[in-house]
Amino acid sequence: MSTRPLRGARTAALLMALAMPLALADAAPEPPPEGNLGTTRGDEIYAQVCQGCHMPDGRGATGGATYPSFAGNANIASARYMAVVILGGRRNMPAFAPEHVIGPYFEPVFLTDLQVANVINHIRTNFGNDYRDPITAAEVKALHPTKGTPE
Amino acid sequence: MEQGAVRGPMTRRQLLRVIGLSAGSAAMYQAMASLGLAAESPFTGTPQLGEAPPGATVLVLGAGIAGMVAAYELRKAGYRVQVLEYAARAGGRNLTFRGGTQYTELGGETQHCRFDPGLYINPGPWRLPHHHHGILGYCRQFGVPLENFVQVNHQALLHSTDAFDGKPQRYRAVKADYQGHVAELLAKATQGGKLDAPLVREDQERLLESLRWWGALDQDFKYAKNLVSSERRGFDRDAGGGLSGHPVPSTPVGLQQMLGSELWSSLPIGDLYEMQGTLLQPVGGMDRIADAFANELTGLIRFNAKVVDIHQDASGVRATYEDTTAPGSRHTASADWCVCTLPLSILGQVPMNVGRPMADAISALPYAAAVKVGLQFKRRFWEEDDHIYGGISYTNLPIGNIGYPSTGYHAPGKGVLLGGYLWGKDAARFTSLPPADRVREAVRQGRQLHPQYDAEFDSGVSLAWHRAPGAMGCFALWTEQAREAHYDNLCAMDGRIVLAGEHASFLPAWQEGAVTSALDAIGRLHRKALSEPRA
Repeated sequence: MSTRPLRGARTAALLMALAMPLALADAAPEPPPEGNLGTTRGDEIYAQVCQGCHMPDGRGATGGATYPSFAGNANIASARYMAVVILGGRRNMPAFAPEHVIGPYFEPVFLTDLQVANVINHIRTNFGNDYRDPITAAEVKALHPTKGTPE
Repeated sequence: MEQGAVRGPMTRRQLLRVIGLSAGSAAMYQAMASLGLAAESPFTGTPQLGEAPPGATVLVLGAGIAGMVAAYELRKAGYRVQVLEYAARAGGRNLTFRGGTQYTELGGETQHCRFDPGLYINPGPWRLPHHHHGILGYCRQFGVPLENFVQVNHQALLHSTDAFDGKPQRYRAVKADYQGHVAELLAKATQGGKLDAPLVREDQERLLESLRWWGALDQDFKYAKNLVSSERRGFDRDAGGGLSGHPVPSTPVGLQQMLGSELWSSLPIGDLYEMQGTLLQPVGGMDRIADAFANELTGLIRFNAKVVDIHQDASGVRATYEDTTAPGSRHTASADWCVCTLPLSILGQVPMNVGRPMADAISALPYAAAVKVGLQFKRRFWEEDDHIYGGISYTNLPIGNIGYPSTGYHAPGKGVLLGGYLWGKDAARFTSLPPADRVREAVRQGRQLHPQYDAEFDSGVSLAWHRAPGAMGCFALWTEQAREAHYDNLCAMDGRIVLAGEHASFLPAWQEGAVTSALDAIGRLHRKALSEPRA
């Protein structure tokens, strides 16, 4: 279909840092808490990213396959399960903290641990949900697929 | 000779480094190579499968390009073929929005395209590289007329909100200034003896001459304001005839400002293998290709058939599907073999008894987000006012590019351009907007390149690929690591089932990937069918 240019040296540097082997990437500075979206608010992250598939009302959609609904979905009883799926992806659900990226061409959305926590807490307290056990950024951090598996 | 050894590839590499092939571009090329974007199509002509085993049957899932290539070729070889397609039309991601098109996306909103007759956008694939022999071969075979697709246009704009006070620059001026300054620097380095080690004197002289020509340098190897540089970057007043015909040269932008603008990052796009001339497009819209295939396959495709289960056993494959015009209904289709071209975004949720390696591969790939926006204007102001005939302007705004139509030049009445082609993060955000807001936002951003937008805007449509009911994403997003782990397993035949589509190719997102993957898959299917003892 198409490629596009990198959006500038800063973007390229960010992406190449992310694409580097873990040992090197660890030396890179931590991204700002608002990542590349410019917000840490759960509702704003949901509105900018999640609702593209899961829809503004959180009820998902069905075409050839289904984007899951957050209303009455037993899976979201576990904030940790949600964090693992958001960080590492699952099938067509993209990883928002990908271990590998595709190079400078496609700058995807990267979510920081704080953003992941906030959007999970937003989903679990909206769309008819009323879970009272919020997840923290520190708890999300511990759930990264590559963390805790030293070479 | 020792000198000769030094003048080997090392010298070329050093030269490239001096010329400015930065780590960024090298990494970019590597990334592209791993994407497959730099790979040549392996197409060597339509297959001569030979005869199918008597009575052999194939079920093809999906009537996109891959499915229709498979169905067409397998039938030709003598297989009895049936095709199941989720949508009410053939083509899959090959489609065109034109006046009268109604498009309902996931979430339920329907857009009505109000473009004037003859005007369209291709919200999926929109260009055909001249070396995509497979898809072009079918265009030739089916008599689909082609015309040029303009990719590089020196009159088009390069725009950054962070450079030149947000004022768009002409591609030709950016290219000339970037190239001119680089040439001047390299000439200076050569004359200052900095290249004595890698280059002998005669080669240094040849290099200097080539730099003068390549960079439009003056007699002193300077890139300066004069008629020579203006012959590249454009004039303040163009040459003409008579007493008023004196050309007035323009003033180059300084090196530091040019580098700081980062507009150079868009320059090599047209040099990418897939973007090089000649690029082509079907006359009248990309779906002319889909229509041509569908015409060949009349009667073979069952539309509105949503596959919900795929089961194979020792004797055949059975697909269970829902007739979407009768929700909840269940039907089955059976055959000896199955070519499954459903996008992995869909297939990942369809129960199918294949082995772990293929199942893992299917589950491993998310799909790229992409959005295209088509805008109709009351007149073709980009031609009338801006003298832009086809080609693409690039911007760092989320809309990414503005694509001008490569056809219908000077036509009176309304005109349609591609008002945005978004990827990644920006596409995710646009996907989250209602269709009307996508159009509004594309107009709001695009006016920074073309102030005429406000007065001339008429109507618009958009396609957000994650909201496309039969695709649920734009194309399979392979990483190098995923290819290593899963590509062969995705493509390998599992019992009676083989997968095909752009996702099973090194040409992701390109129709050529769909064609070559289908041809490769059916070749293997056919060999396996021939080797099977028949009951």
